[in-house]
Amino acid sequence: MSAATGPVTDKIDPFSKKQSVKKPKQKRSQASSRYKAKGGTELVPLPQLKDAPPAEQHELFIKKLQQCSVVFDFMDSVSDLKGKEIKRASLNELVDYITAGRGVLTEQVYPEVVKMIASNIFRTLPPSENTEFDPEEDDPTLEASWPHLQIVYEFFLRFLESPDFQPSIAKKYIDQKFVLQLLELFDSEDPRERDFLKTVLHRIYGKFLGLRAFIRKQINHIFLKFIYETEHFNGVGELLEILGSIINGFALPLKAEHKQFLIKVLIPLHKAKSLSLYHAQSAFFTQLAYCVVQFLEKDATLTEPVVRGLLKFWPKTCSQKEVMFLGEIEEILDVIEPSQFVRIQEPLFKQISKCVSSPHFQVAERALYFWNNEYVMSLIEENSNVIMPIMFPNLYRISKEHWNQTIVALVYNVLKTFMEMNSKLFDELTANYKAERQKERKKEKEREELWKKLDGLEINATVNNKEVKSVPPTSTNTPVAGGSPAVGTRYAPYSPTAHRLMAK
Amino acid sequence: MAASDSDDSLYPIAVLIDELRNEDVQLRLNSIKKLSTIALALGVERTRSELIPFLTDTIYDEDEVLLALAEQLGNFTPLVGGQEHVHCLLPPLESLATVEETVVRDKAVESLRKIAADHSTADLEAHFVPLVKRLASGDWFTSRTSACGLFSVPYPRVSSQVKAELRTHFRNLCGDDTPMVRRAAAGKMGEFAKVLELEYLKSDLIPLWTNLASDEQDSVRLLAVEACVSIASILPREDLESLVMPTLKNAAEDKSWRVRYMVADKFTELQVAVGPEITKSDLAPAFQGLLKDCEAEVRAAAANKVKEFCENLPADVRETTIMTNILPCVKWSFFLQELVTDANQHVKSALASVIMGLSPILGKDNTVEHLLPLFLIMLKDECPEVRLNIISNLDCVNRVIGITQLSQSLLPAIVELAEDTKWRVRLAIIEYMPLLAGQLGQDFFDEKLNNLCMAWLVDHVYAIREAATNNLKKLVEKFGSEWATSKIVPKVVAMAQDPNYLHRMTTLFCVNVLAEVCGVEVTVSVFLPVVLKLASDAVPNVRFNVAKTLQKIGGLFDAETVNSQLKPCLDKLKTDQDFDVKYYASEAILVLTEAA
Repeated sequence: MSAATGPVTDKIDPFSKKQSVKKPKQKRSQASSRYKAKGGTELVPLPQLKDAPPAEQHELFIKKLQQCSVVFDFMDSVSDLKGKEIKRASLNELVDYITAGRGVLTEQVYPEVVKMIASNIFRTLPPSENTEFDPEEDDPTLEASWPHLQIVYEFFLRFLESPDFQPSIAKKYIDQKFVLQLLELFDSEDPRERDFLKTVLHRIYGKFLGLRAFIRKQINHIFLKFIYETEHFNGVGELLEILGSIINGFALPLKAEHKQFLIKVLIPLHKAKSLSLYHAQSAFFTQLAYCVVQFLEKDATLTEPVVRGLLKFWPKTCSQKEVMFLGEIEEILDVIEPSQFVRIQEPLFKQISKCVSSPHFQVAERALYFWNNEYVMSLIEENSNVIMPIMFPNLYRISKEHWNQTIVALVYNVLKTFMEMNSKLFDELTANYKAERQKERKKEKEREELWKKLDGLEINATVNNKEVKSVPPTSTNTPVAGGSPAVGTRYAPYSPTAHRLMAK
Repeated sequence: MAASDSDDSLYPIAVLIDELRNEDVQLRLNSIKKLSTIALALGVERTRSELIPFLTDTIYDEDEVLLALAEQLGNFTPLVGGQEHVHCLLPPLESLATVEETVVRDKAVESLRKIAADHSTADLEAHFVPLVKRLASGDWFTSRTSACGLFSVPYPRVSSQVKAELRTHFRNLCGDDTPMVRRAAAGKMGEFAKVLELEYLKSDLIPLWTNLASDEQDSVRLLAVEACVSIASILPREDLESLVMPTLKNAAEDKSWRVRYMVADKFTELQVAVGPEITKSDLAPAFQGLLKDCEAEVRAAAANKVKEFCENLPADVRETTIMTNILPCVKWSFFLQELVTDANQHVKSALASVIMGLSPILGKDNTVEHLLPLFLIMLKDECPEVRLNIISNLDCVNRVIGITQLSQSLLPAIVELAEDTKWRVRLAIIEYMPLLAGQLGQDFFDEKLNNLCMAWLVDHVYAIREAATNNLKKLVEKFGSEWATSKIVPKVVAMAQDPNYLHRMTTLFCVNVLAEVCGVEVTVSVFLPVVLKLASDAVPNVRFNVAKTLQKIGGLFDAETVNSQLKPCLDKLKTDQDFDVKYYASEAILVLTEAA
């Protein structure tokens, strides 16, 4: 028969075909979603700025800005090559002109500059081509119009950084609406663009005092949408990086608004699913931890809510993420005040005790490394009477059970430090270990018994319920709910059963 | 009541509450999930006076636990003493409706809506509505988003003064500073519109809706499109043109593709809501625009709706609208595919899955003239999904023009799909074989497709071989046992000699499904000897499948055949060296003996 179905005997292995199934990898680039972009404007080359007489330069500058507002289709790589080249050259010229020239930023120029920038960079981001984006496997989708966009961003930065730049004039054009659109661009998949945006936004935050609160609020909204609605936003890492330096500059005492941001936004950000996807964990998590630690260095009283927050969002299944959490906890412990440590030691070390006995050796190892940290050690020593009883049972157990020899060795070291710290307590704990376990087992049994009895109750209830099907379910579908005495007597056989069960 | 009083000493609340406080989250979660049991043990009075306050005070647990709690409380009305006491459930649910985690909040809102129905009108005004107002003016956005979902349930049952207050609160939420709240309001606007009096719908809600539909955030605007479906279906037709259409038209041309996508996705619902007149004048051109959209996502969503849109068109304008507005687009958006990329595969396959449905609407002549060329091109598409979608909908066309016009193009398409490298594609086409066989007729089938069906029997993927055997059964059902004996059976039997044991097993699998449809005669004279011979196969897997086959087809034979032929064979297999062979042999003997 045909090739595919013929010599089947040598094709039993279904995996031989896999190569042909998987699509060849290709560098993707994507155009922005520009709806009904105006086409057909043909660019006419203008004379070079440097060749124009000084009197005409200003007018030519504005003309060039207007020319550069025309947007080209870069998905069609062959269309209008001449126009694209003219624009590219003009943009480069504009960059040089505002970098080198003095006094070129007159008041009339501002609206033209902002218009040019806006018409180039503001666009609806296209649908993401790979919804399951994995930074380790996939290349990011790159912006097709980058050859122009890059120079526009370059120009934007030079404009903001120019010694002639006057925020008091620019604020008429770089307003809330402008910033809002700028922030939306942080979702761009192209890391080059996000990098430029980061610097641009940072400059705007620095120069426009009137926009600061607005920018912070909008970043809040982006984060909250990311945490609670979409779980997808490409620029979270970049925004956190900017925030890191913003937090650094907060005046003391911290405003309530800033504290709320920490507790209600930054801490919940830890639970984002994609947190673990951001590989190298650098882009996102390091920034996040940095922001949190910044806050704690400013105001130590925030330690307790922060640590409790982290414990609340502690990863349940993702070991990789758990390692990152432990890293952040150690950073916090590095700056913690002893008075604050006392307040959180109990819940914190209960969690650490769980991590230490994690079957995932990286998690266990990361937690055990805390004992190499001198400051942390000193804190543990000061509070050994609280921490040792929490840590001991798990340490003792895994010193015998853990599959990984490195972990066992580390655990022995920790037990040894405990012994040296407080040998009396250590001996007591060792002696009581068995008795404690038995107590736990007994408690466990008691709970089982209790629930068995309660379940019996429920089964009885349902059985009784079935017997009185005629009663409308809305009013009395549960036996004890009976409001009327008539219903109460109907369920009478129900309490003796309970008695009998309890008597046993 | 007596029951619950006497239980006091037996179920000390402390013990139960201890369970709800257990250090282990999993145990806490288990306890919460059995909260109704605990309440049952406590009785209605103590549930009200002790358990509910405890729950209200201690809401700062893991989200997982809170979610379970929110769900439980929705079913708690009987456990607290029914309608007159149900309002005691409001405080814990109110707290739950303000937590950070969305799923918990949503569940709390769901439960609140549920128990709102259990409230008397007086309680609704005294307890429920104040809760809605508190939430709606909460500090943090979470309580305000939750509030949005709580307007439509109490609204119809309260006094006009309270209604006015509720409307004011809803208006504030629509203009909230936080986009999350505006999204929630836009999302719930549709259901609120349904319970609102017409005059207020026009005077209050429509302006709010228009605002949300032009919100600065596209995520808000697209939710307004959803609300549009409900709003348009409630408004009298004469108001639609002025109140709804301008906004809807803007949405269809929104600069964000997400909003346009939403319009495309809801298009047929919108079409039904606005009625035939506006469809003719406004929606048809808008639909054309969406089919030509610059984003593939939008085109695919629109393409998916082509058939339904056309079906919904009023009969008098249907044909002209399709011919002038739709078909040119379909062609356009389709020819574009030939040029370009990956993403557009979705557009093509969306179109392919519905385009055949147009032919019954357009009738024979138009189908032949306009649709047929499109089908033919799509049948040659590089993307298997497109071809498959066309083939899977052949019956629509067959009813209108018969399949002969297509058969010449069908064949290569089928053959290619039959040999596709992806087994899922092969599987899909196999599943259409019985249908195709019926449409194309026996002669065509014998000539062109029979060989394909046989080839699948020796595919290297088990799922395909399995599907191929089942396919044979359906074919025999269609063409009869005489056809089977001449065209199928010889080939199946021949495979029993194949050097590859998998193929020999396939013979057995075929016998399993064919025995019944081919009838006893063929089975006894042709299949049985082959099966019995395979009992001495060198490969144990073949041998124990013989046992399984004999067990399966044993019921067809009379006692004599069973005793003289099946039993001896199975007895021999029962003494096989291989453990599995022995097992299946004794199993088969057992079944056959029982049957006898």
